[in-house]
Amino acid sequence: MIKFENISKKFINNSVLTNISFNIKKGDLVAIIGASGCGKTTTLKMINRLIKPTSGKILINGEDIADKDVIELRRRMGYVIQQTGLFPHMTIRENIEMIPRVEKRNQEDIKKRTLELMEMVGLDAEEFLDRYPTELSGGQQQRVGVARAFATDPEIILMDEPFSALDPITRVGLQDQLVNLQAHLKKTIIFVTHDMDEAIKIADMICIMDGGQILQYDTPENILKNPCNEFVSEFVGKNRIWTSPEFIRAEDIMIESPVTCQGNLPLNKALEKMRTSKVDSLMVIDNPTKKLLGIIKAKQIQSQSDRTIEVNAVMDIDFLSVNPGDTIVDILKVVDENDVSGIPVLDDAGILIGLITKSSLITTLSQQYLDTEGVV
Amino acid sequence: MGFFEYLAGSKEQIFKLLMEHIQLTAISVGLAILIGVPLGILISYVKKLNKPILGAANVIQAIPSMALLGFAIPFLGIGTLPAVTMVILYSLLPIIKNTYTGIGNINKQTLEAARGIGLTKLQILTKIQIPLALPVIMAGVRISAVTAVGLMTIAAFIGAGGLGYLVFSGIRTVNNNQILAGAIPACILALVVDFLAGLVEKLVTPISLQTVKNSNKKALKKTRTKQKITLSIAAIMVVVIFVVTAISNYNPNKKVISIAGKDFTEQHILTHMLSDLIEDRTDISVERRTNLGGTQVCFTALKSGDIDMYIDYSGTAYGDTLDYPPISDMEEVYNTVKIDFKEKFDIDVLKQMSFNNTYTLAVTQETAQKYNLKTFSDLSKVANQLTAGTTLEFLNREDALLGLEKKYNFKFKGTKGLDGSPRYTALINKNTDVVDAFATDGLLKKFDLYVLEDDKNFFPPYYAIPLVRGETIKQYPEIVPIIEELSEILTDDVMVELNYKVDELQMEPDAVAHDFLVEQGLID
Repeated sequence: MIKFENISKKFINNSVLTNISFNIKKGDLVAIIGASGCGKTTTLKMINRLIKPTSGKILINGEDIADKDVIELRRRMGYVIQQTGLFPHMTIRENIEMIPRVEKRNQEDIKKRTLELMEMVGLDAEEFLDRYPTELSGGQQQRVGVARAFATDPEIILMDEPFSALDPITRVGLQDQLVNLQAHLKKTIIFVTHDMDEAIKIADMICIMDGGQILQYDTPENILKNPCNEFVSEFVGKNRIWTSPEFIRAEDIMIESPVTCQGNLPLNKALEKMRTSKVDSLMVIDNPTKKLLGIIKAKQIQSQSDRTIEVNAVMDIDFLSVNPGDTIVDILKVVDENDVSGIPVLDDAGILIGLITKSSLITTLSQQYLDTEGVV
Repeated sequence: MGFFEYLAGSKEQIFKLLMEHIQLTAISVGLAILIGVPLGILISYVKKLNKPILGAANVIQAIPSMALLGFAIPFLGIGTLPAVTMVILYSLLPIIKNTYTGIGNINKQTLEAARGIGLTKLQILTKIQIPLALPVIMAGVRISAVTAVGLMTIAAFIGAGGLGYLVFSGIRTVNNNQILAGAIPACILALVVDFLAGLVEKLVTPISLQTVKNSNKKALKKTRTKQKITLSIAAIMVVVIFVVTAISNYNPNKKVISIAGKDFTEQHILTHMLSDLIEDRTDISVERRTNLGGTQVCFTALKSGDIDMYIDYSGTAYGDTLDYPPISDMEEVYNTVKIDFKEKFDIDVLKQMSFNNTYTLAVTQETAQKYNLKTFSDLSKVANQLTAGTTLEFLNREDALLGLEKKYNFKFKGTKGLDGSPRYTALINKNTDVVDAFATDGLLKKFDLYVLEDDKNFFPPYYAIPLVRGETIKQYPEIVPIIEELSEILTDDVMVELNYKVDELQMEPDAVAHDFLVEQGLID
């Protein structure tokens, strides 16, 4: 929906942005993140033309914004900045109704809309509408700021570090609310922040910038798992993943080639295979579909007197399994509740693609501590 | 006569002047706001203009107000226009500066938010910048308004009227009651203006930005309502003043002439005398511009048509206005002036009066006895022990002190330039020893001074001569014989007596003039 094409910006001799290109999809919440002076705010302000690019184009729905009426353009976008963005001499109502009123929209509609917006951001209309910004707490002011941005029901909302001046508890509350709002409003939101936790929490896409360039533009998960270079991984933080364990999935931690056998293998051969592979169970699969049929454990074989019978007859066919996309949290829950030592990872067709064992879980979980020591 | 008796006696005049004062101040400050605020906004947008405009306003502020007035006369004439112009010029700086500062001090992020949400430049100005800067702008207006009330008193210097009239003529005639009658209302007016402007300043400050945190919103709203009512009443009063003045100034009789007088007692009396006479004998109504100013102000006004006539003195016209070297031949002086004025300025010089208000020198009786002084020649022998306290005009003129010192060959120990009446006060207080005086001055009698004789006939004749614009005579030829009726009657003795009545007995000049005309059987 929003497309940056080779955008550069120079202030006199100081290059702020160098040849930036990226796409923002409709309905995405994109977080632009980076250290101070990386160009993230400049990038944001180019979208509503508060800053003009030195070269390059920005397209919205395929149209170059430089050709549009700037006032019209801005009114079709919400804009939220840090708490000083409210007009101090106007009541909350006047602040929210500013643009609808100068556009001379229907009075009744404006009133109705204001009430909806107040409810949307979780403020009591009766209590707050006739008060002034200074009478509100920082968090309340910022909710009003968000309400004002939504007043004209714009498709695009620009947010410039809106929550950064708030205390952590208020901030988390507002982040949660933004995520909820976005879940059913599906606006295209560009959100500038310097807080990685915030970006991971709310964004569909994260754009990491440094020195006027985009280092990586990807989903939060990919940024966490596959930082494109040392700087990004430094910036993201090595153990950042542990603040969002839902991004650690079965496929990330499974043993990709578990020891398998076929159903017609005699028990003594199976036992021999376990011994040489140093495992206590085998995945019984169909050949050549690799569909998991059952699990045979060393204990089960040991309790059999006739060891020439096939694995088929003895194996456990009522086994637990997980999907490759299941998170470590889900897996731990399964392990905890069922007291199993290994869980096969199957795709939707039931084909075995990996195995998670207690020891692989321990290895994964211990990484966060070992890494920390390494960093220190 | 006590101050309160004076007040009671002149309450109508004081009230009229107060109204005039309010009106002039309101016009000046109103126009200053209309000019200053846009200029302040302009320089906050076009930074390049910032220095030249603020610099110019600063320079104007530094010019003495009297100098500015004097400078304005050749361009703007006399009366309301130059006075209002001067006060506007002085009022501009605080208004421009505060507008500029008020707009400049608005939080940058607030402005960016305003731009970012899609307000146009004009909307940002009217809905964000001006409302937020208004308290600061009003603080500037408040300073200007209070200063303007004070400055406007100086406007009387060029005949614009207002309370300064009382102050100026009080100073000339050493009438403290009159000075106070002008100064005290001006002072109270300044305080009232300050109070009202303060209310406006508070009212335009958004509730949320009031410094006093008033938790009780209702109480705050009530106070604001009260303040609004007070201001509305004040505003209505100003409007009423304007309307009433406009109605009273509306004169269905189109025959109006304007007679002016210089800034001393004799001229006040003469102005009223001529006016009364003309109004009684003809259907012309007269606008009386007493206390207009010195020779230059009056003559410029006459030339430009601001006034139709005033009475000057032959010697002044000859030596000062026409710039001829002084001579003592009365006939030649009069004839030269008559011919030259007609030719050069189309001004008619009517028949001269019978009194010669020439310059002379006077000393206290004590000094006269101490040095045994009778004539200028006596004085010249002891002049190096004496200090002269004279008018500035007298000090610097070839036909006055400069020529006098040559003719009698002496030099004073020192000279002091003093204004009108204070030079008498200085003499009585022994700060000076010799004073220049007009031969017909009532103050000579009041202070019991000894007038020295001009034994070598140095001073030219200063006979009173009515100066009338040629156009006026063409339009109203009937006034000429009426004015000339006075020429035989007004002698030196008569004038001293009339002046004395005003200066010493503190009677009003208009009453003195009227009584005299009635006494002489010239009017009913």
